[in-house]
Amino acid sequence: MTSNGDFVKQETHDASSTKQFAPAITRVALGQKTLKGLKKIVTARESTLAAVVILLVVYLSWASPYFFTSGNLTVVGRQIGLALIISVGMTFVILIGGIDLSVGSVVAFVSVLTGVFIVNLGMSPIVAILLALVGGAVVGLVNGSINAYMGIPSFVVTLGMLAVARGLSLGITSGSTISGFPSEFLFIGQGAYLGIPIPVWVAAIVAIAAHLVLTRTTFGRHVYFVGSNEEAAKLSGIRVRRVKISVFVIASTLAAVSGILETARLSVGQPAAGNGYELLAIGAAVIGGASLFGGVGGILGTALGTSLLLLIQNALILLGISAYWQQVFSGVIIVGAVALNMWRKQRN
Amino acid sequence: MAEHALIAMRGIVKRYPGVTALRDVSLSIEPGEVMALVGENGAGKSTLLKILAGAARADEGVIEVSGQVVQVHSPRESQAHGIAVIYQELNLANDLSVAENIYVGREPKTRFGTVDFNAMKSGASRLLTSLGINISPDEIVGNLNIALRQMVEIAKALLVDARVVVMDEPTSSLTEEEVETLLTLVRQLRSTGVSVIYVSHRMREIFEIADRITVMRDGSVVGVCDAQTTSPNDIVQMMVGRELEDLYGIRTVPVDHTATPTLEVRGLSSGSLLHDVSFAVRPGEIVALAGLIGAGRSDAAMTIFGAVKRRRGEILIAGQPMALRTPNEAMAAGIGFVPEDRKHQGLFLGLSVRENMSSASLPRISRLSVVSQRRDRELARRYAKQLGLRESAIEVAAGTLSGGNQQKVVLARWLARLPKLLILDEPTRGVDVGAKAEIYQLIRTIAGEGVAVLVISSELTEVLGIADRILVMREGYGVGELDAAQATEKRVMAMATGVQEDGS
Repeated sequence: MTSNGDFVKQETHDASSTKQFAPAITRVALGQKTLKGLKKIVTARESTLAAVVILLVVYLSWASPYFFTSGNLTVVGRQIGLALIISVGMTFVILIGGIDLSVGSVVAFVSVLTGVFIVNLGMSPIVAILLALVGGAVVGLVNGSINAYMGIPSFVVTLGMLAVARGLSLGITSGSTISGFPSEFLFIGQGAYLGIPIPVWVAAIVAIAAHLVLTRTTFGRHVYFVGSNEEAAKLSGIRVRRVKISVFVIASTLAAVSGILETARLSVGQPAAGNGYELLAIGAAVIGGASLFGGVGGILGTALGTSLLLLIQNALILLGISAYWQQVFSGVIIVGAVALNMWRKQRN
Repeated sequence: MAEHALIAMRGIVKRYPGVTALRDVSLSIEPGEVMALVGENGAGKSTLLKILAGAARADEGVIEVSGQVVQVHSPRESQAHGIAVIYQELNLANDLSVAENIYVGREPKTRFGTVDFNAMKSGASRLLTSLGINISPDEIVGNLNIALRQMVEIAKALLVDARVVVMDEPTSSLTEEEVETLLTLVRQLRSTGVSVIYVSHRMREIFEIADRITVMRDGSVVGVCDAQTTSPNDIVQMMVGRELEDLYGIRTVPVDHTATPTLEVRGLSSGSLLHDVSFAVRPGEIVALAGLIGAGRSDAAMTIFGAVKRRRGEILIAGQPMALRTPNEAMAAGIGFVPEDRKHQGLFLGLSVRENMSSASLPRISRLSVVSQRRDRELARRYAKQLGLRESAIEVAAGTLSGGNQQKVVLARWLARLPKLLILDEPTRGVDVGAKAEIYQLIRTIAGEGVAVLVISSELTEVLGIADRILVMREGYGVGELDAAQATEKRVMAMATGVQEDGS
């Protein structure tokens, strides 16, 4: 008790002395502004999560001599990047209160398409990539249109698409993989720029752009409106269907981007790629504070959620825990994070 | 008077971080008494009821049942003492039958441990009959109107021998006719010795059924009055703590009856609920659509706003025929629409007041689809000021505001678009007296600026108080139009129900 009181006294004393030393009013005002900004950062929903991620990184650097090697960081960074691209798209869908279970199958579908275009048909990689992206976008267009125009819940629509896209990938390749990509294509998955893997660059650009779209543009506002209250959005003149379809197109297209990068990283187009990615992406968004009822969530939270899930995976490998146990940890973390979030909300 | 009150709350104090919600509040109810509990939103009524219901714990004070101090720390304990609370949001399973809802959690069992549906049905039937409620126990609750659902909730409460039934604004979403049914039931309860705590904003109902009235303001009880010897005006004054100016205000700018109507509707039909309705609203005029719930008033509004598909008929805006196929087109034509159900149709509850206010004006405050943060904040500040909302409320989630302030947020959304025609569906539902007066004043002001206003309301006093002209609807048809000067509650009611007026 006493030590606590002393500590408080100490702090107030410090604060008043800084004020005394501040020469001009502007300096004080500026200080208050930064203080206010700092307070905003500390109390933000994402701050706890950020602290957890930082603690984990610190712990891993201490617990394993391999964590902070450039080899390991490259691997982890690339994994986080590839997953984040998908999670960002998933965040858009979850924000409108929907879900997209087909993103993992889209990764496979696009992986196969890229293989067919480049290896089998000999197209130039750029054309092939563009066509593959279109393929991904079309999947989203179908998901979104069925959801928006027929009113079938996105869970059901994308569950169907999960099977259809996977089946198409298997059908096109008869279940086999496609290899023999040119090296300039493989560069986008395996190469680096300024020492940072290309997928990390792409993920960073995607995440920043998505964050700006959600926080700064009318479309971003519309996404939150539709997720928060669809009926009210409609009666506020928002074209709800258009927003829904756009969101599914974004999710599928981003899954396609990730699928192309992954194909380049593994040097094979494979119909088994992306298995279970949808759950990773949903988990990441939810850990990041997104509500499955829509209207709540953001890219910053999703990025932290993705990092947390993949760092834990990496930690288990580095600490020599069998890969078979990984999913147990992921599952516990997802539920734990949501429980923590709800507990915080209730306390407020 | 009995020696001990049936229920007595004494010296109740409840503190929340930063505010004292209740200070030294006492309330007592005699057996078979109807006690009205009134006060503006935020006066502490809900908190007091929560404590009585065991949903919140008092920091100080005691609750006595028949003179014995009791612990009420959970809804279960509260129920065990014979206290039943019926909240505004009903707790019914809409897909189950009336009987199943009444017996939920207390299902009678057969010898084999399965639910005894026959006993349940006959029990429910007996209970409903004894209350004079005419519904089949087999009816699915989702098919009943709100009033009947409320009665099911009351029946559910009485199954466990409730000695006091607490009703939190039971009539806020009922039509005049349904209110009568409910009040009859309240009288019925009283005659069987059950006490009722009746929370309402509506003076007429209160004076019709209450024996005593407890008035709260700012977390304290400011008076307990005998209903026989008090007037509604006294009560309202105690509630707001100030002289209440004429609630509805008066017209200051005359309506130009030669002007082209801002809105003209000819032979409007949609779906099965709207047939061949015609009327007009001139610039600066306030026209009310009156009628019972289900008379097609909201459908008329939704059809004009493009939210419901029009089957037949013409809509003219400033003399020009318009398609108005979507809300977007209606908005582009200068129409604003404050819907009936604030929570489900009006607000983005989880988003900030600012985001709510600018939600229909984004193109105006954006460039190349990028929302200007500065203009967004300016818009929110301007309308918060105009509508009397605190500036500190701007970044707060809209769902945390009181009913009156929520309604102001929805109004701000449309005022920000500077509409030519504003349609207000139940603009003061669930809004306290103080905010009501402000909303009426606001309607007067915008009408004075030349905006045509179409008001839909189930409160007849409101219709008569605010409108220049009243269009009465019944079963989807327009059945008559009255000038404010010639309209009386009786005449409007007679037209709305189709009952012939006697003696006129």
